[in-house]
Amino acid sequence: MAFITMQNIRKSFGNQEILHGVSLSVEKGEVVSIIGPSGAGKSTFLRCLNNLETIQGGSIWVEGDCLVKEENGKVVYARDSEARKILGKMGMVFQSFNLFPHMTVMDNLLAAPIYVKKMKREDVLPTAERLLKKVGLWEKRDVYPGSLSGGQKQRVAIARALTMNPEIMLFDEPTSALDPELTGEVLKTIHQLADEKMTMIIVTHEMAFARSVSDKVLFMVDGHIEEEGTSEEIFGHPKSERTQAFLKSILR
Amino acid sequence: MLDYVLGILPNMIEGLGVSAQIFIIVYVLSLPCGILLSLVRLSRLGLFRRIAEFYIYIMRGTPLMLQILFIYYGLPMIPGIEIQIDDFSAAILAFVANYAAYFAEIFRGGIQSISRGQYEGAKVLGFTYRQTMWHIVLPQVIKRVIPPLGNETITLLKDTSLVYVLAMNDLMRVTRSIVQRDFDTTAFIVAALFYLVCTFVLTRALGWLEKRYAVYED
Ligand SMILES: Nc1ncnc2c1ncn2[C@@H]1O[C@H](COP(=O)(O)OP(=O)(O)OP(=O)(O)O)[C@@H](O)[C@H]1O
Ligand SMILES: [Mg+2]
Repeated sequence: MAFITMQNIRKSFGNQEILHGVSLSVEKGEVVSIIGPSGAGKSTFLRCLNNLETIQGGSIWVEGDCLVKEENGKVVYARDSEARKILGKMGMVFQSFNLFPHMTVMDNLLAAPIYVKKMKREDVLPTAERLLKKVGLWEKRDVYPGSLSGGQKQRVAIARALTMNPEIMLFDEPTSALDPELTGEVLKTIHQLADEKMTMIIVTHEMAFARSVSDKVLFMVDGHIEEEGTSEEIFGHPKSERTQAFLKSILR
Repeated sequence: MLDYVLGILPNMIEGLGVSAQIFIIVYVLSLPCGILLSLVRLSRLGLFRRIAEFYIYIMRGTPLMLQILFIYYGLPMIPGIEIQIDDFSAAILAFVANYAAYFAEIFRGGIQSISRGQYEGAKVLGFTYRQTMWHIVLPQVIKRVIPPLGNETITLLKDTSLVYVLAMNDLMRVTRSIVQRDFDTTAFIVAALFYLVCTFVLTRALGWLEKRYAVYED
């Protein structure tokens, strides 16, 4: 079984179905990009994986553990403790950063290990220090997020997610809220993670980036996967007409 | 003139002491009660939320004076309850009940102003709801509620004068009896100065708090 298996996910808001049975499997160390037009359901699909949205149908497995499955037509979620264990393997980075504005950059990194894992501050410090240096923001450790640029905020958010030692990182349009000249530094950081064989699912509108970083690309439209393949297959030789049209429109 | 002021001063300071005592006790009790009430008011527990909503509506929709009189004179007359509490406790109870409702609304506004992204950011890091509220939401709420809380605090200081209806010897009542005794309104001016000094100190303290929280931007 793959590291992540999402099968036939159905999701509705009210009585409007947004995801009509979407499936995805991700192997350890694999980088998967999800591309597609606005409103296709990319964010929603990603959010179903880490329980920010509850699903109405389908199943999700992480390393053989079941987060949610269908039994006799009813969706059953794992017990709270089990779900926590599973969700603890995932880190997430949002379009809007969601840093904690009342904490310094360093405290943003330390918060989860200290409050959630109950670790001692001095035991987490070396990890946090290493990660801040890795994203190139060591000198910003004592400032508040409010004084950072968007690109810096997003790099802090990535470092913050990494302090919890996730086995997979989820990115929901990590550069969409950034000025064009700031996307590069964030994409570079994500590329670096890919080089280190971090498993990742990335929702993005940065086609050149998706092409170069991904092992697998999903083209999603209207709540279903229109086409799926390697980076080369999707960007080089798209089969579906909708994929072709989308890529044409966006790469123009 | 100065002699006269010096003469009435001890009594008035004693009155101020009673007022200050009420102010401090009410403040210390109604803040946590207000926070709890706001959390209930925002909770998903339908019945409790309704009750909290109704309670806040009653407390904010009727005069504080009426509530004070009701707790002191009214409660003992209700069959089945019939508890008579002393004037000081009655005053504290009424004030806390009333101010908790006002504070709850302030905290509710503050909590609702925190974006969903903060909850989600905490959740994906493994924070439980309780940890999220305690470490992420409430600290940010405090910064946002300081200005409205400050207004309420100054109102509370002035509202303590309402306890004169229970014949308690607070600053207001002491002042009034001095004026009636001596046919001299100097005591009013002294009382006004007392209140002004207190509000000045409070305003300063609040300004200091606001400054302390200004280290970060939202
Ligand atoms: N909380 C919600 N309540 C109701 N409808 C929602 C909600 N969240 C998303 N939707 C709807 O679900 C659909 C898919 O939204 P989603 O955000 O997943 O799209 P997306 O592919 O991420 O688009 P974008 O590229 O613009 O981010 C949209 O039609 C959106 O309006
Ligand atoms: Mg989206």
